[in-house]
Amino acid sequence: MLKLIQLELRKYKITGYVIGAFIAMACIFGLICLISFDPTESEGLASYEQLFSVIDLLTRGTFIVFAAVLLARFIIEEYRTKSISVLFTYPINRKKLMIAKLIVVFSFTFLSIVLTELVVGLLMLAVNHSREFVHETLTKDIVGRQALSILMNALAASFMSLIPLFFGMRKYSTSATVVASILIVFIVCGSANDFSLNSIVAIPITLSWIGAIIAYASFRNIERKDII
Amino acid sequence: MTYVLQTHRLSKTFKGKESVSEVSMRVKKGEIYGFLGPNGAGKTTIMKMLTNLVKPTSGEIELFGEKLTPTSYALLGRIGSIIEYPIFYDKLTARDNLELHCEYMGYYNKKAIDEALELVQLRGIDGKPVKDFSLGMKQRLGIARAITTKPELLILDEPINGLDPIGIKEIRQLLHILSQEYGISILISSHLLAEIEQVANTIGVINHGRLIKEVSLEQVRVTNAEYIEFQTDDCVKAAYVLSHHLGISNVRVIGSRTIRVYDLSTPLPQVNKTLIMNDVAVEAIHQKNSSLEEYFLGLLNGGEQSA
Repeated sequence: MLKLIQLELRKYKITGYVIGAFIAMACIFGLICLISFDPTESEGLASYEQLFSVIDLLTRGTFIVFAAVLLARFIIEEYRTKSISVLFTYPINRKKLMIAKLIVVFSFTFLSIVLTELVVGLLMLAVNHSREFVHETLTKDIVGRQALSILMNALAASFMSLIPLFFGMRKYSTSATVVASILIVFIVCGSANDFSLNSIVAIPITLSWIGAIIAYASFRNIERKDII
Repeated sequence: MTYVLQTHRLSKTFKGKESVSEVSMRVKKGEIYGFLGPNGAGKTTIMKMLTNLVKPTSGEIELFGEKLTPTSYALLGRIGSIIEYPIFYDKLTARDNLELHCEYMGYYNKKAIDEALELVQLRGIDGKPVKDFSLGMKQRLGIARAITTKPELLILDEPINGLDPIGIKEIRQLLHILSQEYGISILISSHLLAEIEQVANTIGVINHGRLIKEVSLEQVRVTNAEYIEFQTDDCVKAAYVLSHHLGISNVRVIGSRTIRVYDLSTPLPQVNKTLIMNDVAVEAIHQKNSSLEEYFLGLLNGGEQSA
């Protein structure tokens, strides 16, 4: 399996996406800085909890869309260009081939989200050290709670980022995939007056399940399907 | 006789339309089997079924003596194929594509890639992504990819599409080399008889999803040699006269009144004269030049053999 993942990465030159992820990270950091420096807005970032929730929101939103691009590249494009018909004449279990692709997208998304939240979070703490827009002391309790929420949110986001696969596979369309991902971002990352749908725990959990089911459905029957 | 490939009443229905029906074909080990049929006859669909890309609606496929099932992945490792048209990861170079292919096939002889590129005479392609290749180059690269891992069975769907005449000739030679020196069995499809005729040992004629005829080319050549047909009331006597007076023994008596002379070394007037002088009443003479093309066209048009 590790071998298959490696081959996928080689086939689609992952480096470009890693660089892309770092650029996205830098943009998120820049945006948060702007928000925190803006005197009229800084009220919104008065506590660590708020600060981290804004970082979390931006990061998840960005990488759910990023995941859609990866899905389009690694799976949908393979179908659209029909190179899947080459891949499926190899003496390798088709399910494994698909799972390898899904693992690439899933773990890339998960790692980018966790890493970005960590890096941007730490940077903001450093910025806060000199600018002091958050007037709270950072307790172990806050750190622990935030770390847990980062992990859980990242996990949920990675699963729901697989949902666009369903829409993309219907006509092998990249744009459908990306549009679907943007809709998902609106659902889980849109917020009004500190209220977001993501805070109703049932919603991210349901969406994650849907993502997982869609991923499973994408390879469940793959041995019986015709590749035309 | 061992067969590398056999199908039994293989059928495929797409959305209620039968595109392959009850095809039972046999490819012998080491031979070149040519699939001949017009566009849309079902050649590609059959080839896709052989490589497990399309699943048969009914019927069975046997490869190397084993039944092909949706999960018989190991069998796929013994086949090299180009189906429909050569597809690559076209942002990568030719070499990258071949290396990936070898990795997926589990074949680790690095020299094989150079050998394959050499065999198809593809040169000066370093650092060039496949998307910049011409169709002819892709076709060559596709063949290179199919043969890199030295498969036991090679499935080539219209491999000469997009090649120039020199390229076609080279590929033809390559196929002979692969079949004779490497002992690879080859299944090749084309809608051009002239091409098939020059490479294949056996031809399967397919039209409207049905395998109309499966014959060895040798046999076709024999049964379709040119001949002169005499209608006479006494065939036995005619045969006797032909062999004793003219030394012609390559004749075939058809029915009681028709005799065919395949040995055309004696000019027709002389044959006729000899027959008459020996009291054989010739009622009609008919000269037949049936070419291979007529034979196959006859098959494709649904008619019987034109003779």
